[in-house]
Amino acid sequence: MSTAVAHDTGAPDAPSGRDVLLEARGVVMRFGGLTAVDDVDLTVREGEIVGLIGPNGAGKTTFFNCLTGLYKPTEGEVRLSGTVLPPKPGRVVRAGMSRTFQNIRLFANMTALENVMVGRYCRTKAGAFDSILRTPRFRREEAQTRERAQELLDYVGLGRSTELLARNMPYGDQRRLEIARALATDPKVLLLDEPTAGMNPQETADAERLIFKIRDSGLAVVVIEHDMRFIFNLCDRVLCLVRGKTLIEGTPGEVQSDPRVIEAYIGTGDGTEPDDPDDIDAKIEAQVEAREAREGGRG
Amino acid sequence: MNDIPQQLVNGLTNGSLYALIAVGYTVVYGIVQLINFAHGEVFMIGAFGALSTWFLLFRDNTSVWVLPVMIAGAIAASVATAVIMERIAYRPLRHAPRLAPLITAIGISVFLQEFVRLFYGTIPGFPSAKSKIPFPAIDGVTGSPFHLGSVVIQRPALFTMGALLVCGLFLGWFINKTKQGRAMQAVSQDPDTARLMGIDVDRIIVIAFALGAALAAIAGVAQGLQNNNIDFKMGFMAGLKAFTAAVLGGIGNIQGAVVGGLTLGVAEALATVFVTGAWKDVFAFGLLILVLVFRPQGLLGARVVDRA
Amino acid sequence: MSTTVDRADGANSPDSSAPAPAPRATGKGVPLAYAGSGLMTASALMSWCYDPDVLGDLTLYGNPAPVQLTMLVLGLLGLVLAMSAKGPLRRLGAGLDTSRGAFRLGLGAVAYMALTLAAITAQAGGLVNADPGAWVALVGSLVLVVAGRLGVSRPSRNIGAMRAKGWVEILVLVALVAIALLLVADGLTLRDPWAFVLLLLGVGAAAAGLAGANAFTWLGVTASYHSRVLTLAAFVAAFAFPLTQNGSDANMSIATQVIIFSATALGLNIVVGLAGLLDLGYIAFLGAGAYVGAILSGSAFATIDWQPPFLVTVIIGALFSALLGLIIGSPTLRVSGDYLAIVTLAFGEIFRLAMFNLDGNNGPKITNGPNGIPAIPELNFFGFDFGVTHHLFGIPITRFSNYYLLLLCVIALIIVIFSNLNNSRIGRGWVAIREDEKAADAMGVNVFGLKLLAFAGGAFLAGLAGTIKAHHDVSVTPDQYQFLESAFLLAAVVLGGMGTVGGVLLGAVVLKLLPEKLRFFSEYRLLIFGLLLVLMMRFRPEGLVASKRRKLEFHEDDEHLADKVQTIHLEEKTS
Ligand SMILES: Nc1ncnc2c1ncn2[C@@H]1O[C@H](COP(=O)(O)OP(=O)(O)O)[C@@H](O)[C@H]1O
Ligand SMILES: [Mg+2]
Repeated sequence: MSTAVAHDTGAPDAPSGRDVLLEARGVVMRFGGLTAVDDVDLTVREGEIVGLIGPNGAGKTTFFNCLTGLYKPTEGEVRLSGTVLPPKPGRVVRAGMSRTFQNIRLFANMTALENVMVGRYCRTKAGAFDSILRTPRFRREEAQTRERAQELLDYVGLGRSTELLARNMPYGDQRRLEIARALATDPKVLLLDEPTAGMNPQETADAERLIFKIRDSGLAVVVIEHDMRFIFNLCDRVLCLVRGKTLIEGTPGEVQSDPRVIEAYIGTGDGTEPDDPDDIDAKIEAQVEAREAREGGRG
Repeated sequence: MNDIPQQLVNGLTNGSLYALIAVGYTVVYGIVQLINFAHGEVFMIGAFGALSTWFLLFRDNTSVWVLPVMIAGAIAASVATAVIMERIAYRPLRHAPRLAPLITAIGISVFLQEFVRLFYGTIPGFPSAKSKIPFPAIDGVTGSPFHLGSVVIQRPALFTMGALLVCGLFLGWFINKTKQGRAMQAVSQDPDTARLMGIDVDRIIVIAFALGAALAAIAGVAQGLQNNNIDFKMGFMAGLKAFTAAVLGGIGNIQGAVVGGLTLGVAEALATVFVTGAWKDVFAFGLLILVLVFRPQGLLGARVVDRA
Repeated sequence: MSTTVDRADGANSPDSSAPAPAPRATGKGVPLAYAGSGLMTASALMSWCYDPDVLGDLTLYGNPAPVQLTMLVLGLLGLVLAMSAKGPLRRLGAGLDTSRGAFRLGLGAVAYMALTLAAITAQAGGLVNADPGAWVALVGSLVLVVAGRLGVSRPSRNIGAMRAKGWVEILVLVALVAIALLLVADGLTLRDPWAFVLLLLGVGAAAAGLAGANAFTWLGVTASYHSRVLTLAAFVAAFAFPLTQNGSDANMSIATQVIIFSATALGLNIVVGLAGLLDLGYIAFLGAGAYVGAILSGSAFATIDWQPPFLVTVIIGALFSALLGLIIGSPTLRVSGDYLAIVTLAFGEIFRLAMFNLDGNNGPKITNGPNGIPAIPELNFFGFDFGVTHHLFGIPITRFSNYYLLLLCVIALIIVIFSNLNNSRIGRGWVAIREDEKAADAMGVNVFGLKLLAFAGGAFLAGLAGTIKAHHDVSVTPDQYQFLESAFLLAAVVLGGMGTVGGVLLGAVVLKLLPEKLRFFSEYRLLIFGLLLVLMMRFRPEGLVASKRRKLEFHEDDEHLADKVQTIHLEEKTS
């Protein structure tokens, strides 16, 4: 119900004149009895930053997995620049959408440079014969790949960590490396799953700057975040998911002041005044930390 | 084709055997996502355990009351092997890359075969295992077959099918009604949460190995009775077939293993009606590949484990 | 190795915080180390045994037999370690962990002497036959062990950063290759299993000592600097090997078998070591090539009456194998990697059964069933008959040598393919898949395609080797290609070190040579290989010669190791 409303109003600040890049329609993902994503729509235009918020387990990551073909959605379709994307990760990346992961999934035993070079895989062509015979084409491409990877590392501010093994890098650097690896695939749309989780305020501010820089270079960005201040500074539009459904879509201001959002986050049922946003922030952070503690034990 | 009913019976017999072994693959896979290649050898050791029990305690006595003791001996040998193997070889590798436990499993499998081949005969009074060893013919369970119209039903075949029935009922009760069984289900759904809920995951894994081994041991006795002999290589082909059965039913799914085993047995038997028996095994493995292409989750559906 | 420069200081090396040049710390054990290794060296010049028929002639003073020469080498090695701890070779000692080296070397030498005494006891009829020399050697070894224990182990010394002059390094590498060649040539001629095991043990002791002292780290880094020189030297040595045999076929037949096995293991290494796929039916691909080779060989028992030129046969055999690989791989590689292992196992059986059944009774007559295809004629390559002896500079090159040299070229080809693929976009893709298949997929790596490439490519190379093997073996039967052979190949790859060329060659040579030389061993070989697989996975999954990356992968939680590898990596990059 709320999705329709959101689309009618449209987001006032959205640069609606620009071309639609990513368009997801009626995405549904069921796991047995659980409907993790329930009829979610998303439109992303060129040069836009869209935020995706919602309490834990709302289905945000699952929605990303549906967009990128890691899961085959039970229903719905995803279009990129007008063409329907098949649910195959490789095809999605080649079509121009790439992502980072909530729980960092770097190639731990490869160096930073090699990680980014893997990102170039889908934009290079040298095959087995070129590689075995070391043809001129192979040499040229290899040099270009290396050069581009180094450029990207410089771009995200890791120019001096080129030869470090990913597993030896500090946490914040690993998150940035994941972004560099995703950028190496030459995406039009970049999906970031909690890019600042576990970062200190300084690192968060750096990440914010980096994402703006990426946006300014012409990419569209969709970002899942729990840090409300981050979301409100960064996003043109915000989508709030609760239990798989779109609760509301609008400008950061609209979403921030909507009582349903606050209720969804802190689960009040006692009808008290909505908390002040900073307070929500603190509660959410506590939640995130609790979850990380759990996942840390797992990993 | 008038031998189809006969082949159905043969198929159900072999299928029961496959099913008994397949449960071991499936239970372990469901819990630790490990294909225990050496499970075929656990089956073989069960057969040798039964034979050893007979040599040690009963020699020349083939009365029917001997059989339960032999089965107990078989189960003891298999369960001990499986538990030791889990403890010293698999457990240390639980967080290693996937390749490591697979290679270990191959190593154990080769080692156990060779161990039995080389050293079984060195135990005083035991025959050499370098060639086939005759298995005692127990009164009542072996001997003149029953006739049902034109269909011949061997006594050991009845034993095998009966064993599957009893084991199946036991499994159903164990998994759904006992504390350990329910803990097992919990671990297979989500080991981390199960651990948080206070379930001793290591213990559950050992129980899974032991459960599979016990069923494989019974299958080992059944095979010995059916063929009148056992040998150190018997686990290789049986293990492969049983794994095929487990995949057919959906690996990780216990009912699936039973259904898969029976299906594979019947399919094989029917195949011998239409093509010659020499290609039976090729047919079974062809089936395995076809299942992987068209229905990798198996007939009844496997557990999905991979999450992004 | 006089000139060494320590470049570790500049790099952000976690080790540089450790107290580096402090040879005084080890001072306690040094005199003992001198004494122990001195005794070991001297003992080689004494008589070890009353009986001249044991282990060659050990009875002479001042004229060491091979068994004693090994001890001489071990003793000299001990002296070098002692001198590096405190003495003229101090600069060398700055990077070596001399105490640990001495300790391990000593242990190895003790084992060596224990076996020697056992041999004397067994062959001469009692321990009384041992002469003072043997006891001196034993005591010397024990003293060395104690010396090593007393000293302080300094494991984190950065020897990888030590460099000598380029030509010195190259000389060392070439000398090592030459020593390896001599050892293999010598080992092959040993008829006495005791002497053979002793030689192995002696080499093992020396290696243990050097490894303990961290010398292999230096060797690894140096070898990677001069990898071309090293490879070239190794190949020259391998090509020279038949020339050292004087037309005798006794060793060459073994050497040829070793080399067929090595070529196959290297092919498997692409599948297992690079792509991380467990292929348990690899021998079947070799078999497929061999059957194609046999059927198109013009043998009187061949079922197809067509004998194309051998080059065509090779290509058909390799392509046929690759096709089988595609048929098996394309369904299985889409699902989990575990399935591949078991499906390839099943495929191995299908292959054997099919070869068994295609006998004219149960199926079309293609393979003659269990009888196989015998009487395969010798290879004839552009008029060059592999069956007869040729002469090179007057040195006879026999039938086996011909095959040996041809197979050596095949190995060279496989190595080029292996390392060029490894160092390319494709190799990076394989690593990414091994690391995290889902993430690789999400980053656009063609996971399925790359796996299939490795799998079918491996099959291709096995098929290629198979066509040659058919001619070499003269007959092809189904039971040559059973599952246990696949397990055996896997053991070589795992023992040597997945993903490395040198390691797998080492593994293949050791595993194939042992059963050939040791009759008693061949009965237990499968038992031991099974156990070896289990133990290696438990204690050293990366193999004897570890690939850096594999080592990291198998030791996910070892932070210290990651730092160490990182430091060495940075060293390599900055110089
Ligand atoms: N592969 C899967 N199988 C079953 N349930 C899943 C799977 N992936 C996600 N879920 C469930 O979907 C819900 C949404 O999870 P997720 O998308 O990770 O939430 P979040 O919004 O915190 O990112 C959760 O209840 C989770 O357990
Ligand atoms: Mg999430």
